[in-house]
Amino acid sequence: MRKPWYFWLYVRSPIAKILLGMLAVLISFAALAAQGMFENKRMEAQTDNWHGRSVEKGAEIFSSNCYTCHGVDGKGLPGVAPALHSRYFFTQRMKDVSWTGSLHDYIALTVAAGRPSKSKSQWSQIMPTWSSKYGGPMREDQVEQVTQFVLNWQEDAMTQAWGTPVITPTTGVTGTAGVTGTAATPLVTLDPFQPFHDGPSKAPTSTITYTVGTLGAAAVGTAAAISATLPQTAAAAPAGPRPPQELYVAMACSGCHKLDQDQTPANQGQPGPNQGNLHETAATRVPGEDAETYVYNSIVNPSAFVVPGYPDGIMPKDFKTKMSEEEIRSLVKWVLDPNRPK
Amino acid sequence: MAVQPEVKNKTLLETALGLADDTFTRITAGISAGEFRRMLRGEAPGKPNPRLKPHTEAFLLHIKPTYYHESVTRFTHTFRLGLLSTYLFFVETITGLFLMIWYAPSPDRAYSDMTRLLSNVPFGQFMRDLHRLGAEMMIVVVVAHMVRTYLTGSYKAPRQFTWFTGVLLLVMTLFLSFSGYLLPWDQLAFWAVTIGTSMADAVPPEIVGATVNLLARGAPDISANGLLRFYLLHVFFLPLLLILFFFVHYYKVVHFGISLPAQEEEVGQDTASKVPADRRVYYLPDVLLDETMFLIGFTALIIVLTVFFFQAPLESIANPQSTPLHTVAPWYFYWLQGLLKIANKMVAGVILPGVLLGLLAGIPYLDPNPSRRGKDRRVAIISGIVAGIVMGIWSWMGTPYYAVRAAPATEIVQELIPEEGAGLVRELGYSHLPNGIYDTTKEMLPEATLADYEKTNPGFVELLTEFKSLTGEFDKEDKDFNEPQSILTISQEQPHLKRIQWTITWKDAKGKDGKFTRAFFIHEDSMYWEQYGLRDFSYLSKPEKAK
Repeated sequence: MRKPWYFWLYVRSPIAKILLGMLAVLISFAALAAQGMFENKRMEAQTDNWHGRSVEKGAEIFSSNCYTCHGVDGKGLPGVAPALHSRYFFTQRMKDVSWTGSLHDYIALTVAAGRPSKSKSQWSQIMPTWSSKYGGPMREDQVEQVTQFVLNWQEDAMTQAWGTPVITPTTGVTGTAGVTGTAATPLVTLDPFQPFHDGPSKAPTSTITYTVGTLGAAAVGTAAAISATLPQTAAAAPAGPRPPQELYVAMACSGCHKLDQDQTPANQGQPGPNQGNLHETAATRVPGEDAETYVYNSIVNPSAFVVPGYPDGIMPKDFKTKMSEEEIRSLVKWVLDPNRPK
Repeated sequence: MAVQPEVKNKTLLETALGLADDTFTRITAGISAGEFRRMLRGEAPGKPNPRLKPHTEAFLLHIKPTYYHESVTRFTHTFRLGLLSTYLFFVETITGLFLMIWYAPSPDRAYSDMTRLLSNVPFGQFMRDLHRLGAEMMIVVVVAHMVRTYLTGSYKAPRQFTWFTGVLLLVMTLFLSFSGYLLPWDQLAFWAVTIGTSMADAVPPEIVGATVNLLARGAPDISANGLLRFYLLHVFFLPLLLILFFFVHYYKVVHFGISLPAQEEEVGQDTASKVPADRRVYYLPDVLLDETMFLIGFTALIIVLTVFFFQAPLESIANPQSTPLHTVAPWYFYWLQGLLKIANKMVAGVILPGVLLGLLAGIPYLDPNPSRRGKDRRVAIISGIVAGIVMGIWSWMGTPYYAVRAAPATEIVQELIPEEGAGLVRELGYSHLPNGIYDTTKEMLPEATLADYEKTNPGFVELLTEFKSLTGEFDKEDKDFNEPQSILTISQEQPHLKRIQWTITWKDAKGKDGKFTRAFFIHEDSMYWEQYGLRDFSYLSKPEKAK
């Protein structure tokens, strides 16, 4: 048979074959040794990776299920649900409820099984059951992901300092368990913890101060941004009227109403109607009332008119006592502004 | 005790050497040390050839022929693809055994076993990557083996049945790979297998299809039973079946001999089993040396590929409630997925593949041409090439780029940060995604920042450019997507966690506004990877964490 043109490419010498084989063995061992050297770091990186991914998944779940009650930044909504992004939650809460396990387990249990409602609770919403094990919609691994997400606030929450109590003139019932620090102590950021009224805190009275969550949306962003905005907010809160976007969160409107979605027959907000297109719909609700009057009346006297399809009695009736007249007016104007940021 | 008579006759040294030689001969099943030395020196065997003995003594050698025709031992005749596929099966068995140690086939554990394997087992990821790479290579090698056999006409008489068993082995290889696909229990696995088994559902008549589907899944939907069944198929039933047919196939190969290059013999002749003495190449030592060194070289190749260039994917845990956008089959089934897009399930999923398989298995019986020479087989070779091209087109149709485009806004986001897998944004990672608002209708980055990023963070500049150009492309292509404004907002959600918010607004053909928003999150520590390509070793330079 004629030799093919590429005949010279064949390795024919047995010695050359053996040498090439030995070279291949050396290369294999070198590659395996390299892998072996990376192994510890690789395993560590993988451990962090899967933790990171579950925080990501938890964030997705939180931002589609939990934020309506616990706030977009986890700082809670007064009267709706407690703050999780708070120093109190990471340091004192477990002691107050005499929980001897880990915080991880405390969170996981609460997410999985929910919280049965007490006859007299400070929160308007009860924590529902989430795990499929107890009849909820989430798988066990999703419960774990949410737990990891909540735990991830720790670093930021621990930078919150116990501050002087922020007592709004209208609420009056804020905790007065004690006051720490002097006015001279600079505030890094306030712990927006709102007192759980299910029992007195076991923290030494000298170390804990209850504050009302008035920070709300203002506290989204980096720690630096928060600390830049906070002292003014804290100082301004008791005195002048609070800005409407802050009221919207502080009064827990955002717990039930979505600002970024329109109320249409196909998209009915729950538990309260969406307010994305309120400036279009408000004037059409009650004959004889223009948009501003309608929204104002809805805030001060929610039962006067209830949007068909929604039950009466859900919306709190005491907003007139919680906000000044000026504040309510500015809130109405802001909610009806078609150009307000969503 | 009396002194052994041998020691009396010979010296002690001679006796010891004799015993050593004896032991050596036993280990090599018949090759003495002297003969071994002559082998190494490349000397010709004596007569009668003492190097044939191991072929009768040793089990593993008795199935190998004692000599080959010189022309078929050249690498470029067979490319040793048959040997290679056998070897890959061996590699899969070994790596698979290691993986079995760390794996339990139950939905509660399967996925967490995978993450544990990746993060807590030394060389765990290596084993998994090697197993996956080996599986994909095995398919490539088996198909290449078939193509080679087709092109050299080696399936012709008397080797028709050998070809037929080869086709069966190909099918088994595909099924082995596919059954292993479900085991990690991630979204990729779950949906690929759901689609795959749903094709069984289309087998007519209805009662047969429904029963096959139910048997495979173990329940109307894939769950614990389905996983167990696929596991048993993968680690037990299919390998056993494959081993059985491998021996049938290989027996036939040895029985008829490897077919000679067509030019070596007259048309219609088959002289492979009558090798003239001057053209014999003995298995010991020549072919053995070639095969061993070839496999060692190949092993080095797959090890290097696994360590540096290949990572088996692992997506989110299987979620029967949510189908990820653009679910795809494994690449070797793209052609089937492409067919499913243009015809109904019964035609594309059952009848057509069945006919194709029948044709493939029947090639030797359908091809009446006795000649194996290329110039006599123009029709066969051209139709083979055409079939290859058609498979390529079908495969392309199986990718998301054909016929299943979602709404423009969804596609833009999917392109940059897919629901599953890596994508441009995740590959950039946390540290290369600066917080800010990036609007395609405005200047996306201030000039000074842009100049800075082009040096320090070119990936992010590329991302913004891609974001803008995708928006522009869909604006041009889609008449229901006009005056788009795409905004990417990156903000700090939590310590070490960024929110990647996409907001796209547009006007449709009638001037009505549309809006799409979607948020993703990226954690500082999470790594996403592409299956092929240089690995990301950036974790090596990460500072040690305080624990």
